[in-house]
Amino acid sequence: MTMTAPEDSRPLPARRRRPRGELPMVGLAIPGRLTYRVWQRNRDVFFRLWKAEVLPPLLEPLVTLLGLGLGLGAFVHLGGDVEYVQFLAPGILVAFPMFVATFEALYGAYFRMTQHGTYAAIAATPVRPEEIVAGEIVWAATRMTLNTALIAAVLLVLTPWLGLVGSPLIVLTIPIAFVTGILIGSIGIAYTSRAQSISQLSYFFSLFILPMFWFSGGFFPIDELPGWAQTLAWFFPLTHAVELSRALVTGNVSAGLIINVGWLAVAAVPAFWLGIAAMKQRIVK
Amino acid sequence: MPPIIEARSLFKRYGDFVAVAGIDFEVAEGEFFGLLGPNGAGKSSTIRMVSGVLPITDGTLLVGGHDVYYEDREVKRMIGVIPQDDNLDEDLTVRRNLEVYARYYDIPKEVARPRIDEALELMQLQDWGNARIDNLSGGMKRRLVIARGLINEPRLLILDEPTTGLDPQARHLVWRKLRLLRERGVTILLTTHYMDEAEFLCDRLIIMDRGHNIAEGRPRELIARHAGRDVLEVHPTPAERDAVLAELESTIGESGRIERIEDVVYALGVTDHHRERVEALVNDPYRVHFRRANLEDVFLSLTGRALAE
Repeated sequence: MTMTAPEDSRPLPARRRRPRGELPMVGLAIPGRLTYRVWQRNRDVFFRLWKAEVLPPLLEPLVTLLGLGLGLGAFVHLGGDVEYVQFLAPGILVAFPMFVATFEALYGAYFRMTQHGTYAAIAATPVRPEEIVAGEIVWAATRMTLNTALIAAVLLVLTPWLGLVGSPLIVLTIPIAFVTGILIGSIGIAYTSRAQSISQLSYFFSLFILPMFWFSGGFFPIDELPGWAQTLAWFFPLTHAVELSRALVTGNVSAGLIINVGWLAVAAVPAFWLGIAAMKQRIVK
Repeated sequence: MPPIIEARSLFKRYGDFVAVAGIDFEVAEGEFFGLLGPNGAGKSSTIRMVSGVLPITDGTLLVGGHDVYYEDREVKRMIGVIPQDDNLDEDLTVRRNLEVYARYYDIPKEVARPRIDEALELMQLQDWGNARIDNLSGGMKRRLVIARGLINEPRLLILDEPTTGLDPQARHLVWRKLRLLRERGVTILLTTHYMDEAEFLCDRLIIMDRGHNIAEGRPRELIARHAGRDVLEVHPTPAERDAVLAELESTIGESGRIERIEDVVYALGVTDHHRERVEALVNDPYRVHFRRANLEDVFLSLTGRALAE
C-alpha cells in the first residue's frame, strides 16, 4: 500500500515512520502482565455471583455420580472388584469441569464480546487485545480447576462409604485440570470469535464437547470401542485428562502417562496461540 | 506547543470500502474540537483510529507525539475514551466499575480511591456508588462512562456522539460537564451529527462527508463563509413552488444559493427583502422562515444534502 503525499509542504513530523504492512497493531504480541487485570475482572464478577455460579456445576456431577454410579452401576459389571461408581469418579472429576470451561469460553465470552461490550471497553485501555483474550482463557481454565478441586473434595468426603479415592495423588488432578482448561478454553474462544449468533455456539457444544464428554473413557472404557473410534478419541483432550485422572485417583501410576501429560502440554501451546490470534481479529477490526 | 493530535492523509479502508479518504487535521492542546457529519461520514472510524483501537490503513497519526500505529499503548495511557454505546460492566456496581477500570491502567488502589470520588462527584453520581448499572437512567449511564474515561486523568478526552439518545435535559447536563472539563484544561475531541451540539461546544471543527474533510474552521467562520448571515427556509405547496423558485433565482444574486431538499426550499445569503417577496407568494406566513444561518446550512451548501437524515 503506497503512502499518499501530504497536500501541503510542511515538514513531516519528526517521529513519522512509514507503516509496514499491518504490523504491529495487527501482529501478535506475547500477552503480558495486564492479562492478570482481565482475570481479576472475571474473578470479581464471579465472587459477586458465586452462589449462582458454584452450586449448579457442582450438583450436576454429584447427581450423575450417584445416579449413574449407584443406580446404573448395580447392573454394570466391569470385571475384577471395581465398582462402577469407582470407575466413574475419575471421569466425572474432569469431564464436568470441562463443561464449566466451555461455557465460560463460549457463552461468557460471547456476551462480553458482543452485548456487554466488555472487550471493547477494555481495548480502549492500555490492556492489549492479546491480554484480554489470554485473561479470558486463563479464567476459563481457573473455573475448570476450581470445579475439579471442589469435586475432588466431595469425592474424598464420600470415600469412606464408596471407596472412590485410592491415592493422595488426586491432588495432581488440579494442575491437569488447569492445562485441560487452557486447551478447552482456547479452542472455545477461537470458535466464539467466529460466531455470528448465540445459536451457532451450540454447534460447538453438540459436535465437539458432547461427543468428547461421552467418548473419552470417563463413562465406559474406550478400549472396547472399534479401532477408528479409539483413534478419534485419542485426539480428544479430555481422553488424556481422564486417563491421567484415573491413574492419579486410583494410584495406578505408570510411565506411559508421560504421553498423556505431553499430549496436553504440547497441544495447549498452539491452541492458546490460536485462541488469541482468532479473537484478536474480532476485537481489532 | 506541538499539537496533541496530528493527522496527515489519514486513510481507513475496509476491503474496497473507503471509510476515511485521506483527511488532515490538527488539534491543539486545550482545544474543544469536533468532527461533524452525517452517519457514515467516517467520524467514528477517525476517532477510533485516534483512540488506538482501529489500525490505520495509511497516512500518519500522532497523538501526544506518539505514532498511534506503533505506540498505541502509550496513546491509550494518556487518553480517555467515551464510546457511543454505554459499555459499562453490568455485573458490577457503579463504584466497582470505576475500580476495575482503574486497574486496567495499573492505578494503585490508594490513588484510584480519591480519583473515583472526584469523578463521581463531578458527574453528580456520588450518591449512586453502590447502585447497579441497570438502575441508572440513560443520562446517568452516559455520565458514568464519562467518569470512567477520566480515571487515568487523561490529557485528551475522546467522545463518540456523547449525547445521542439522551433527552434534552440529560443532554444539557452532559454539555455542561464537557465545558467544565475543557475549562480544566482537558483537550476534547468529539463526533456529533447534531449541528447545535457542534456549534455550542466546539472551538473548531471539521465537517466530514463520505470520508472526506469538506470544511474546517471555527463554527461562526464556517457559517459566515459558506452559508452567509441569514437563511430563508420555505415550505411551499406544489402549486406555489415554481413561483417561489423563480422569484428567488431572479433576485438572489452572486453571493446567494438556492437548495432544495424534498419539499423544502432553502435560500442562503438572503436579506429581509427576499423574505417579503417570498411571503407575498406563499399564502401562509408560517411556511416561510427567515433565520440565522447555522452549521446545518453549511453542510447543505457544501453537499446539497441535509446533515441529519
